[in-house]
Amino acid sequence: MSIFIQILLNSLETGGVYALASLGIILIFRTSNTTNYAQGSISMFNAFIATYILMGTGLPAFAVAILAMLSAFLVGVLVDRIVISRAQKVNPVSKQIITLGLIMIFLGLAPMLFGTDPLQFPRFIYGAHTIMGANISYNAILNIIIGIVIMIFLFLMLQKSKWGLAVRATASNDIVARMMGIPTPLITMGSWAIAASLGTLAALMIAPTSSVNLSMMDGVQIIALLACVLGGFQTFYGPVVAAYIIGFASNFISFYISSVWSDSILYVLILITILFKPNGLFGKKIVKKV
Amino acid sequence: MRKRENKLIQVYKSKKPYSDYILFGILLVALPILVDIGLLKYSYLTTIASILIYSIVALGLNLLVGYSGLISLGTAGFMGLGTYLAAFLTKDLNLPFEISLTISVLVPMVIGILTGLVSLRIEGYYLAIATLAISEILRKIFVEFEVVTNGFSGKQASYPTLLGFLDLGRNGTFILIVVFLIGIMILTYNLINSYTGRALSTMRGSEAAAQAMGINIFKYRLLAFAIAVAYSALGGVLYMHFVKYTYPNAWTLTLSLNILAVIIIGGVRSIPGTVLGAFVVFGIPDLILKRLPLIGDIDGAAYIFNGVLIILTILFYPLGLIHIGKDLKKLRFKLRKRKESYSEQA
Repeated sequence: MSIFIQILLNSLETGGVYALASLGIILIFRTSNTTNYAQGSISMFNAFIATYILMGTGLPAFAVAILAMLSAFLVGVLVDRIVISRAQKVNPVSKQIITLGLIMIFLGLAPMLFGTDPLQFPRFIYGAHTIMGANISYNAILNIIIGIVIMIFLFLMLQKSKWGLAVRATASNDIVARMMGIPTPLITMGSWAIAASLGTLAALMIAPTSSVNLSMMDGVQIIALLACVLGGFQTFYGPVVAAYIIGFASNFISFYISSVWSDSILYVLILITILFKPNGLFGKKIVKKV
Repeated sequence: MRKRENKLIQVYKSKKPYSDYILFGILLVALPILVDIGLLKYSYLTTIASILIYSIVALGLNLLVGYSGLISLGTAGFMGLGTYLAAFLTKDLNLPFEISLTISVLVPMVIGILTGLVSLRIEGYYLAIATLAISEILRKIFVEFEVVTNGFSGKQASYPTLLGFLDLGRNGTFILIVVFLIGIMILTYNLINSYTGRALSTMRGSEAAAQAMGINIFKYRLLAFAIAVAYSALGGVLYMHFVKYTYPNAWTLTLSLNILAVIIIGGVRSIPGTVLGAFVVFGIPDLILKRLPLIGDIDGAAYIFNGVLIILTILFYPLGLIHIGKDLKKLRFKLRKRKESYSEQA
């Protein structure tokens, strides 16, 4: 029983990281209609910035995290203003390649500015607690809570606020939204900025265990993309739920079946699922007109 | 009176794309000789060989992305599978190069056809990421299946031996790669100008229309996948025998995206464009940037250059760099016309 709870808590933590990253990807997908492969690289870059601020100023980790999210916000705005907003007429495949170009730019900038050595980022708080025989660090609890709180906050904003309405309108039909007086370029810019911040938070959550290095977000990026596929690209909540499902599944598979092959088994399961539900678990079928 | 042309030029002109490809091949074959004389550095030859290998792989992907409109992010995985199979078959089982080549292309092809089966159900972004998952599974196998793949430390092979007695050295292997590339270029040209190519193009335009015209979507999608994967595996085999070393981290998403970039930069649906794109994406950083005095010393400059180039090409030159010659000609024509009209006015 205690092992079960241990796995459950671990899954909540990893699921939260995946969910933050995939929420960023789906926000960008819905508003600017491209899958953002550069999400992970942007987060990695800002995690480096965070570590540098930490080493330079000695501020506490959570203050640094907020600063890093602000810098990520800025990076997101810049990326949208300089590149994405100019690429509206580009066809979908090329748009995806643009985000590949972004990956290369960030992969090149990071070693240029911060060197190639992996850096350490501390936990937000230290110490551990035992719940029903399961050992969990305070940091993990904090991560779980931050993840869930941010998610709930964003979904409330999406459903209730004027900003959320604008995002949903842009997502459902860009042209009509613009006709209704919604500043769609601003909304798209906001999505890029928020997505970058969310990704950076996810990066800082896994940073203590993985160290800050160039490939720290590669695994998260792939799982976040898979979560979007599993949950379906048509809703905002689908990928988030799918990310938690993937978090649980990967932890349970690695404990009960095989820790070595857990990722592969997970990918196969996801592939089989999409074979049966081609639009994702929560997606709606799109009727094609001939 | 028209000037009588040389017979050779006549033949050259009448067999236009083929003769261009073969001429290109002859130029490439001359490169090892230049190295032997000492006019060209050895490292250039290695880079050019890998560019040619990536061109083969990109040609396959161009067929898939450009002609049939399906996206695949699994290229790197299949290429890696080709390298490992080639290494295992020639080194561990001591099979001759020809048999190893056949098996290492056929096995990934079967997996490619299975992927094609997946593509019948899902499309677009879903398909891209599904192929990414397949590639990641393959990479995991490279890491974990240590008996065959030797894990993270990687696997080695040697230059190929043709027909059991012809030991190819470095130059021989280079020429082999060139021969394969030219063969693949001609094959691809024929393929896209055949019934199959037209069927694929129709499918990209509208699936419903294609079906109404009696094109079997099932068959042609699987075919497109099979060809693309076979080209990647072939690229992998050649890579293995030229670079002689393979390890799991060479076959990541970055490589798949790079090969996609080759197509977009060079020109979708263009064979010479693909080769040009490979030279730009894989060649310019290695051949030019790293040798420049100041920029070459900075870590990551090559990466940034490539990234900026990709973005600029897509934003300002979406058809691909191969069309730049035609556009320049048009521009010159326009300028001349304008000049003439000015002089008429004056």
